[in-house]
Amino acid sequence: MDDVKEKRMIEISIYRTDGTGRGEYKDYEVPMQEGMVVLDAVRYVQEHIDTTLAVRWNCKAARCGSCSAEINNMPKLMCKTRIDTINGKIRVAPMGAFKGVADLVTDISENYLINRQIPEFSPKEAAVPWKIMQMDVERTKEFRKCIECFLCQDVCHVIREHKADYVGPRHIVKAASLDMHPMDTVDRSGFLNREAGIGYCNVTKCCQDICPEGIKITDNAIIQEKERAVDRFYDPLFWRKAKKR
Amino acid sequence: MEFGRTKNETQNVYSAKGSVIPRELKEPNPRLWAFIVLLGIVLYLMVTYPVKSFDGYVDPFYAPTILILPLVGLFRVTCYAYRKDYHRHIFKHPIECAVGSRGDSASRPYTGETGFFRFENLHRYFLYVSILILPFFYYDVYKAVAYNSALTFAALLIAINTILVTVYLFSCHAFRHLTGGRIDCFGCKLAGQRRKSYFDFQSYFNAHHEQLAWISLLMFILVDLYLRALGAGLPINFTILHL
Repeated sequence: MDDVKEKRMIEISIYRTDGTGRGEYKDYEVPMQEGMVVLDAVRYVQEHIDTTLAVRWNCKAARCGSCSAEINNMPKLMCKTRIDTINGKIRVAPMGAFKGVADLVTDISENYLINRQIPEFSPKEAAVPWKIMQMDVERTKEFRKCIECFLCQDVCHVIREHKADYVGPRHIVKAASLDMHPMDTVDRSGFLNREAGIGYCNVTKCCQDICPEGIKITDNAIIQEKERAVDRFYDPLFWRKAKKR
Repeated sequence: MEFGRTKNETQNVYSAKGSVIPRELKEPNPRLWAFIVLLGIVLYLMVTYPVKSFDGYVDPFYAPTILILPLVGLFRVTCYAYRKDYHRHIFKHPIECAVGSRGDSASRPYTGETGFFRFENLHRYFLYVSILILPFFYYDVYKAVAYNSALTFAALLIAINTILVTVYLFSCHAFRHLTGGRIDCFGCKLAGQRRKSYFDFQSYFNAHHEQLAWISLLMFILVDLYLRALGAGLPINFTILHL
């Protein structure tokens, strides 16, 4: 029986490119193993079949957010997608919303550029150490689970198809994590409504559906921030109160 | 703000701006046309063949009058749950999350909720109006029971519908913002612990807002059809409890 298991091969098709914008899918055959994930198969190809294959990975435990890719058209972490959950052929492509560098590696540096433009954490004057109640920590704690895999940025149609001046779900989550911090004094609704283009989001919730950390991106960050922007820009009853939180 | 993203001529969101009629409505989109035709037929039938009430059972579409239907309709149109549905399934921005088959493309102009759809930001005002209308639904439950001096199946349906509308209404995202979404520091507020508990309680229902939105809408239609069937003389109502 063991011999039969070892001989079972899986077909995997990986997008190969040199970063010039052109590329093609190449097929490989990889021996199947119990509990195997897509990253295992990709690494097998890199180690045994074609050593020129470029792939970025670090922890293989869904904690570092490096191995983001599109597996059968769905943005996923390669290390968190088991082979036995996929029927038929496996197709792995790099994240399409970002510039390709080589094969499965993409240039995600725009995210660090955006991150620097978010108004930074500005705590109010208070005696140290700060006393913050547990109930006030809970909301921002969820956002700090983000592993910056940028799958939400990849799946977002506003960025992927329309290249609009919208910072993207990850950065709204970042802004929300600062905004909802009990010690923070800055109101980011102006930044989010104008520079960050939160209005481009049409709450179709793909980012929330694919988040590997299960962060309720749309419900808990984007919609909350949209409502805060409404307070400040669209609702005359709240215009005065907007800055007092 | 520029984010260093490479753009080309077709990936232009600005070409969509400056137009009063949103580009989404100008596109050749059979889904949208089919939806508008269906909506037109339904509204025409509802106005032409009104069944306001039958035997004391008031049709939910006519509570208290069909004239408020546009306001209730706008509450649902601007609701975050339905926004997701129609932006996905009618305007195809995008139709699904899988990247190969999402029906959205760089060549389609897009403004999201920055252009025409900014009116969706008025959601909270339609919420206020809907809360004002809600007591009429409870009056109709009372009327359905009191008129016949019995709890009938029809009255039970009207009561269930009213409860569903209430839960849908108060699980709204705009209401969540009011209950505590806008507060950063509950510990700094008066009765902070209770307000946080209330916020968490509301958030529990809010997490199911999409399901509640659809269940409530389908129940509306079901009750309407049921009362129309009663009005047409079908013997499908029965007494559960004499009072």
